[in-house]
Amino acid sequence: MPLRPSFSEEIAGLLHATHANPIKTCIQCGTCSGSCPVAKFMDYSPRKIIAMINADLKDRILNCNTYWYCASCYYCTVRCPRGIDIAELMYALKRYSIWKNQYKEGLVGPVFSETFVKTIIKSGRSYEPVLATSYLFTFGLQEMLMEAQTATNLMLKGRIPVLPPRIKRLENFKKVIQKIIPLGKPE
Amino acid sequence: MSQSKIILIIDDDPDFVDGLKSILKKANYTVDAAYNPKDGFQALQSKRYDLLLLDIMMGRGAEGIMLARKLNKDPKLREIPVLIITGIREQMAFLFPGQAVHPHLLPVDELVEKPVEPKLLLEKVSTLLKTAETRKAQTKK
Amino acid sequence: MKKYAYFPGCSLEKMANSYHVSALETSKILGVELKELDDWNCCGATAYFHVDELLAHTLCARNLAIAEKEKLDLVAPCSGCYKNMYFASDHLKKDPDLAEHINNALQEDNLHFTGNIKVQHLIDVFVNDVGLNEIKSKVTQPLQNLRIAPYYGCQILRPKKDSEDVEQPRFFEDLIASIGATPVDFPLKLRCCGGALIITSRTTALSMVRNLLQNAINSGADVIATACPLCQVNLECYQKQVNQEFGTNLSIPIMYFTQLIGLAFGIPAKKLGVGTELVSAQPVLTYAEK
Repeated sequence: MPLRPSFSEEIAGLLHATHANPIKTCIQCGTCSGSCPVAKFMDYSPRKIIAMINADLKDRILNCNTYWYCASCYYCTVRCPRGIDIAELMYALKRYSIWKNQYKEGLVGPVFSETFVKTIIKSGRSYEPVLATSYLFTFGLQEMLMEAQTATNLMLKGRIPVLPPRIKRLENFKKVIQKIIPLGKPE
Repeated sequence: MSQSKIILIIDDDPDFVDGLKSILKKANYTVDAAYNPKDGFQALQSKRYDLLLLDIMMGRGAEGIMLARKLNKDPKLREIPVLIITGIREQMAFLFPGQAVHPHLLPVDELVEKPVEPKLLLEKVSTLLKTAETRKAQTKK
Repeated sequence: MKKYAYFPGCSLEKMANSYHVSALETSKILGVELKELDDWNCCGATAYFHVDELLAHTLCARNLAIAEKEKLDLVAPCSGCYKNMYFASDHLKKDPDLAEHINNALQEDNLHFTGNIKVQHLIDVFVNDVGLNEIKSKVTQPLQNLRIAPYYGCQILRPKKDSEDVEQPRFFEDLIASIGATPVDFPLKLRCCGGALIITSRTTALSMVRNLLQNAINSGADVIATACPLCQVNLECYQKQVNQEFGTNLSIPIMYFTQLIGLAFGIPAKKLGVGTELVSAQPVLTYAEK
């Protein structure tokens, strides 16, 4: 029988390749951090976060912004000499943190993801004005005004939809989703 | 009492598995655990279990559902009674505020939500074991 | 005339409508038929993968299965949609259990995924299916002396799919040269625009946008060409906010490659959606009016 998994194995279990733990093969070369356009804004760089996963520092990882700052640019993934899909690892950490309902305070990422998914489950398509409600409240006054100005300008140019779009076979679409995730009916 | 029943837990949360294990062992069950669906499926193929405790949200998403459907397709494995234990409502509360819906994927299965009271857990386990036995006796007739 | 199932994606419906109309206009001239995918749904963007990857793959698989029903290869103009659908198809093909599970769900919409169609980005269709010679042959107003920065961004090339060059690609430069313009050497051409961070980590994204704008301007570009609606919106609509945040004075038009090709084909600017931008494309138009 399998032994109680380490944190590193737990995270590896969230990835596609579950037969082995790719995270353990990291040689700490730092190519990922060197290629990452966001590394300097992260609490810990991608290289560090991998070392921390392997060192079982679960609580510090759950309370950092690193994976929520990943822009999914996949530079790390294409360059990693050990073939670790680091961008996917960042997704796995986001998933882990959302499922555990535990993340660093003040992050917009989790709320945004959740609002986005909700919007699509309801209509089949995304709709900017609804999404905006998930993050605008986190902005300061100045930022809010800038954002409102940009939105108004875009509206004037006809680039913001007035009505939320919907797909035609929405009922079927919802049934498809119910087969994948068995939860109560979406409102 | 006859030989102790063997239970397999498939759940990716090692802390939760530890808790389940200690409750079940105290009640005289023999318990194995697998921490991802893949190891879990392998365990089911290599050994006979009397009952399966199955988590839903694992790996890339609701892989517990995927596994339950796979078991149902196997004429032997589909006879194992399954207790789905899920924290899905809490994990996905933002998505649908409603109750977790019991998907009924196997001949004998039931769903309870995490956290599970030890008393309720043991009740469900023993009911499911009995149901499976009755069903077995009926099909033999 | 080659026909494709065209997946516009949510952005092209409104926010990036100029990409949509210019893609259709230029395709027509190139003998490419873009038939909009019937009842398509969102590709899941990036947010879906944070929550549930099976759900994300299901969303993509539904679109792929609709295209399969029509026996057409799928083409997406948005790099994010393209990447998601390409890799969903790839994962489902390699994982029969996953495909079986998702197909069981797709039955609810009378659909089935087999994986027998290709998933392509629009720029790939233009460069490789149509070909640069064909594009060149349709040019009536070569954009001579217009210096264009080819902005690849991320997800056209990354993650790596086959044997394509993900470190030093040239196809965008070649495409720019084929319409008579000059591709400038743009060192940050593969660097990220910030993507959805513009929403979730604003300052971070703004600094990424600033680096790109600055680098393109330093490279002597008159305009940045993009092949992704999110890149376009980040680079264009946030210039004012970048300048405010960093005390800079950066200004450069950001246009879709289809708009630039359209101008070289002599299509009137208005039909290409020019005029809906926040940073005026007027300076670029003068190169097409000779």
